[in-house]
Amino acid sequence: MDAQFEQPAEEIKRLQRCMNDLVSLLALPAIWSGGDPSQIIRTLLDVLLGMLRLDFIYVRLKDPVGATPVEMVRATPSCKLPAQSQEIGETLNRLLGDDPQKWPPLVRNSIGDGDISIVPLWLGLQGEIGIIVAGSHRADFPGQTERLLLSVAANQAAIGLQEARLLNEQKRVAGELDQRVAQRTAELAAANEELKREIAERTLVEERLRQEERELNRSEARKAAILNSALDCIVTIDHEGCITEFNPAAERTFGYRRGEVMGRQLADVIIPPTFRERHRRGLAHYFATGEAPVMGRRIEMTALRADGSEFPVELAITRIPSDGPPSFTGYLRDITERKQSEEKLRRNEAYLAEAQKLSLTGSFGWDVSADEHFWSDETFRIFAYDVSTKVTLQMILERVHPEDVALVRQAIVLAADGKDLDYECRLVMPDGSVKHLHIVAHGIRAPDGGLEYIGAVQDVTERRRSEQVLSKVRSELAHVTRVTSLGALTASIAHEVNQPLSGIITNASTCLRMLAADPPNVEGARETARRTIRDGNRASDVITRLRALFGKKGTTTEAVDLNEATREVIALSSGDLQRTRVILRTDLADDLPTVLGDRVQLQQVILNLLRNASDAMNGIDDRPRQLVIRTERDEGDHARLTVQDSGVGLDPQSMDRLFEAFYTTKSNGMGIGLSVSRSIIESHHGRLWAAPNDGPGASFSFSIPRGPERISGAHSLGPNWQPTVNDSAQIMRNP
Amino acid sequence: MVIRSLVSVVDDDESVRESLPDLVREFGFAAQAFSSAEEFLASDSVGQTGCLILDIAMPGMSGPDLQRELKLRRQDIPVIFITAHGDEAVRPRVLAEGAVACLFKPFSDTALLGALNVAFRAR
Repeated sequence: MDAQFEQPAEEIKRLQRCMNDLVSLLALPAIWSGGDPSQIIRTLLDVLLGMLRLDFIYVRLKDPVGATPVEMVRATPSCKLPAQSQEIGETLNRLLGDDPQKWPPLVRNSIGDGDISIVPLWLGLQGEIGIIVAGSHRADFPGQTERLLLSVAANQAAIGLQEARLLNEQKRVAGELDQRVAQRTAELAAANEELKREIAERTLVEERLRQEERELNRSEARKAAILNSALDCIVTIDHEGCITEFNPAAERTFGYRRGEVMGRQLADVIIPPTFRERHRRGLAHYFATGEAPVMGRRIEMTALRADGSEFPVELAITRIPSDGPPSFTGYLRDITERKQSEEKLRRNEAYLAEAQKLSLTGSFGWDVSADEHFWSDETFRIFAYDVSTKVTLQMILERVHPEDVALVRQAIVLAADGKDLDYECRLVMPDGSVKHLHIVAHGIRAPDGGLEYIGAVQDVTERRRSEQVLSKVRSELAHVTRVTSLGALTASIAHEVNQPLSGIITNASTCLRMLAADPPNVEGARETARRTIRDGNRASDVITRLRALFGKKGTTTEAVDLNEATREVIALSSGDLQRTRVILRTDLADDLPTVLGDRVQLQQVILNLLRNASDAMNGIDDRPRQLVIRTERDEGDHARLTVQDSGVGLDPQSMDRLFEAFYTTKSNGMGIGLSVSRSIIESHHGRLWAAPNDGPGASFSFSIPRGPERISGAHSLGPNWQPTVNDSAQIMRNP
Repeated sequence: MVIRSLVSVVDDDESVRESLPDLVREFGFAAQAFSSAEEFLASDSVGQTGCLILDIAMPGMSGPDLQRELKLRRQDIPVIFITAHGDEAVRPRVLAEGAVACLFKPFSDTALLGALNVAFRAR
């Protein structure tokens, strides 16, 4: 120090420099105005490092709220100090202790390479703002002016930092205030929104309430309308069983005015006395246990009208859902008519079942595509299956007589086309007995294309049996009458036989005489021998025909050519006709259908008609005794035969009786010929009738259907049973 | 030339018309056959016929009718009736009317020859 004063010029320069430095330092706050602490420190350090030719300068700031101190360092490039301010701080702490306020004013120590003078300076009166540490290698550091400059700089910095701090604090407070104002504003806005929402909600609720009220009103109106217009009686009661509603339908049905019954006990009004106790017990039971078997379903019971009459009703009871004591609504409907219908239906069903049983006729439905069968009880009985059985075609076929299976299968095939069925078949029952069935069914085409048959199956076993017996009796009777009528034909038969016999004897005699001649006439003998043989055959034919007519045999069925049969009858009768001088004309059609039947019986009918015609002309002398036998094709593929005479004609009075047995106009007649003839023709499904001629005499005709074509599976054929399966295919069955 | 006596056969049955004339010829007569009384009446054989073999039952004019017709025409021809109807009641009736014989078919050749001989002797 002393040396400094020894050189005044140097001293003046030093002082001038010091003054300049002071001025610079004092100007710093103007630069710092409005700056933040880090900017203040940065300029301070830069100024001091240059101004005092320091090797390093270090600042540590205390945060006013006790945060970690802010450290900053500036060093000359030659100074080999650690680059980071934090490391400097730690080094200083290590050298000088942890508490900067206890650091000595000057320390000479070795940091980096070589000794260094370290001067700490407090920022603030007690170092409460922080500390500045200046360091230099110079041994004379710090000089007097340097210490002054450092102190001033530290004061200036303390003031600047203080101001900056204050400013920061003000800014923070102002910002905080702004934030709180903004937050409050937001809160108010939110509250405002909430308020608006609540108001809107309340408006909505009010609107809804008004809506509900309107709907309630409408609902009430609707309810009233329903109550008033309902066809069902609607009666409501409260928990004590008192009537609280009684609609117009109830008024009409029960005969009470609403006003009369409101508030009265339901039991006393519409429930018959015998059921009242049960009603009360039921109500009590419901309140005690909550169980009500009658609730929520339809029940039928008896109700009472105002006039005391009782009638059946259908009743449904529901509990009205509401708080408070329970109440109930009853829906009642007068079912008198339905009951009557049900009763009628039940009776009809019973009648039908009984009728089916009595007539041995079962009914059935058959869904062809689904192969579903619906049988009546009688059908099950006929087939001897249990009514609970599910019916299949296989089950049906199992019962069918083996000889008829093909027939039934054919019917099933026909059924696939929807054709009507009408056929007969036999069943073999489990006990071996045979049943005859007649089956008729009509096919119905459903809109979806499905096919269903509805039909009837009749057990005709008894009828078939009777027919068999009848057929036998008829056959025997026919034989008797045949023999009788042939007896009357004896002369004719003798003529028929004698004619060829005469030829035989004459020719044989001639033959013998020719051979006995001298010389023998061999050629003539050969011719007469040939004629003998011919006449012999002719005689043989006559005998055969006679044997057929006289023979007693059962009914047989064959294809019969009526023309041929007629010619044979004429051959047998011609002698008789000649004898009675009847002129016979035949008019036989070429296109006559072949009929199926008993040839002998049919010939008997023809013979009978011929004889009747001949007899009818017996006393006629004033005109030719003309007799015409005509055959022709008749309508519906029938063959018709007519025998027309020119005799006495028919007595209109006795026309009806012509075909009765034992009715006769002849002195020697038995009166069974026409009766038997008619029964024979009817057994061939034909008819026999008589009609007066335009001129004299009468005509007797019969017409019988053409013989059916046999189908496979049909065994023998019989005239007594001729079932048909639709129009085109006919199937014959022997009973 | 010996004129053989003519026998005419009238019968609607063809086999009789075939066979009977041959037999009659074997007996030595001439023979002709006709299928009906009407045919015979219409023929020119009526005057030449020495004996008529006549069927009783024929369509149209019967045997007895023809016999009556010939009587009316003063044609006195002996008649042998033949019939296939074995009706015995007819024989006395026709014999009463002047027939030579009434033969029931079938008849033997000798019965016929006998009847023919009677007929021609009667003539």
